Amino acid sequence: MHVLYRFLKSVRLAIVVILLITALSLLSTLVPQGRESEFYRTRYSPALYGLIAALGFNRYFSSALFLVPVTIFALNLGVCAVDRVVRRARMKTQKRFGPDIVHMALLVLIAGGLVTTLGRTEKDFVMSQGQKAEVTPHYSIKLLSFEYLKYENGSPRAWISIVDVLRDGVLEAKAFPIRVNHPLRLKGVSVYQATWENQSTFLFRDTTGAETTARIGEGFEDSDSVWYLADVVEDGGIQKALLQQYRGNVLVSIRKLAVAESLGQYTLVRVQQNLVTGLRTVSDPGFSTVVVGAVLLACGLLLTFVQNRSKEIA
Amino acid sequence: MAQAFATTALILIATAAALQIAFLMRKGQTADPVSQWMLLASSLLLLAVTVDRSVRISFPAVTNTYESLVFFSAVVCALAFVLRLVMKSAVTRFVLLGATIFALALLMISSSPLAPRHIQPPIPALQSLWLVLHVTFSFIGEAFFVVSLVSAIVQLVSRNVERKAEADRITYTSVAIGYPIFTAGALIFGAIWAEVAWGQWWSWDPKETWALITWLVYTAYLHTRLVRRLRGGGSAVLAIIGFAFTLFTFFGVNFLLSGLHSYG
Repeated sequence: MHVLYRFLKSVRLAIVVILLITALSLLSTLVPQGRESEFYRTRYSPALYGLIAALGFNRYFSSALFLVPVTIFALNLGVCAVDRVVRRARMKTQKRFGPDIVHMALLVLIAGGLVTTLGRTEKDFVMSQGQKAEVTPHYSIKLLSFEYLKYENGSPRAWISIVDVLRDGVLEAKAFPIRVNHPLRLKGVSVYQATWENQSTFLFRDTTGAETTARIGEGFEDSDSVWYLADVVEDGGIQKALLQQYRGNVLVSIRKLAVAESLGQYTLVRVQQNLVTGLRTVSDPGFSTVVVGAVLLACGLLLTFVQNRSKEIA
Repeated sequence: MAQAFATTALILIATAAALQIAFLMRKGQTADPVSQWMLLASSLLLLAVTVDRSVRISFPAVTNTYESLVFFSAVVCALAFVLRLVMKSAVTRFVLLGATIFALALLMISSSPLAPRHIQPPIPALQSLWLVLHVTFSFIGEAFFVVSLVSAIVQLVSRNVERKAEADRITYTSVAIGYPIFTAGALIFGAIWAEVAWGQWWSWDPKETWALITWLVYTAYLHTRLVRRLRGGGSAVLAIIGFAFTLFTFFGVNFLLSGLHSYG
């Protein structure tokens, strides 16, 4: 028992385990993670594929290869922290407890990571204007509007989903703007702005008078090229269809088409813009533990530095 | 105007490096009297570039590779200036030269096609105070690692026992200061930003993994200080490896591995 205790509190063990985790994690970044086995079979030689599959290197961070050293590291940290505290209690002169806080903070962080791994859930969904979605058994949200703001150069500036929050059917928050970096926090769950989809439709009439409805991404042939519907844009206060002409894989031209204008044999009859928002609900019971660990870590590191400095000056 | 500032800073840093080399090659122990002021001026000019771009995009300009390189170079120059003020030893002259050459290299990369300099306002994911803290603290921490790299090299190549001990002290002090700042920036603020932006504080993205690897190496470095046999050469080698990983986390992952950090 004494030998095991001495082994687990050893600084050398800490160094070896840290370097082992470092080396294995480094190798893991060279192997794409979480793909299907077919991906690895076609990409690597049979011997290397066998090694990756046997060691679980394709899912390294949930494999024994990672979890066993991390467990030893956590044990080492725990025993080392306890040993330091006990030693300080015996030798009352030793007052450097910064490293102890750092060690405990790391244990709290590992515990938070474990809770996140085991308990985190997420769900993606899309909403159109006026739609309601249940977020938890008690909370639901209703999408009032979705805005996609752009900079002058056309790059995205903000995606904003404005929602009413209802608790057991009763309005709790009115017109809350969910945007990237500004999630809606409810009890036990957060709602994030994750994505958006352009579900706009375009009604065309051809020269025979037949009407066709097209969506973003669809197109029609024009001699040796293809015109694709790319977006709906505002041009001089008028909504227009933005079309891109491709020859093979090469973009050769862009055209904005207003209602009643023609392109080839097609005339645009109507544009119906419809942007839908993509939201994500996340429940992560480990994050608050991680925040506590992070704060402890910051305090511990600061204290270690201050105590070292005081010792140096003394 | 910002471009003129960056070019002037580059010329000043190059001149400072040339002066430092010239004084190191002389037999006397005196350091040149002006290069540290050139570094201070360069740092201020580069910070002015950052401020100018920040005003133009209405957000702290640390959101792409060019802006990161300019900020990193400014911090390294400022740190070299402070180092020269507080330390007067012979080792400091080598450390100062190393830091100056590193700042110069960063600026030269920022002028290359690897770092397009066109001004672009931040996309929604980058519009966060946590991102600003994440980037600035990471680079400030890494600036201290630059100092530790040079002093670790001096420690390994020097035959003079006193100089070795002095270099070892500088390496340890710079890691001891840089490590908590890097931890706060790269790991803590980065994780909080990721949670606020995407709802996932850690996703084992290659850049995150490499930042963790770098942090682990410096953690190992600090622990080698507690084992007598590993102190000295062994820990100096770890400080050098740690910095190599710092560089790979910044450049290598951006250009060789794909992931969430493709913008900077």
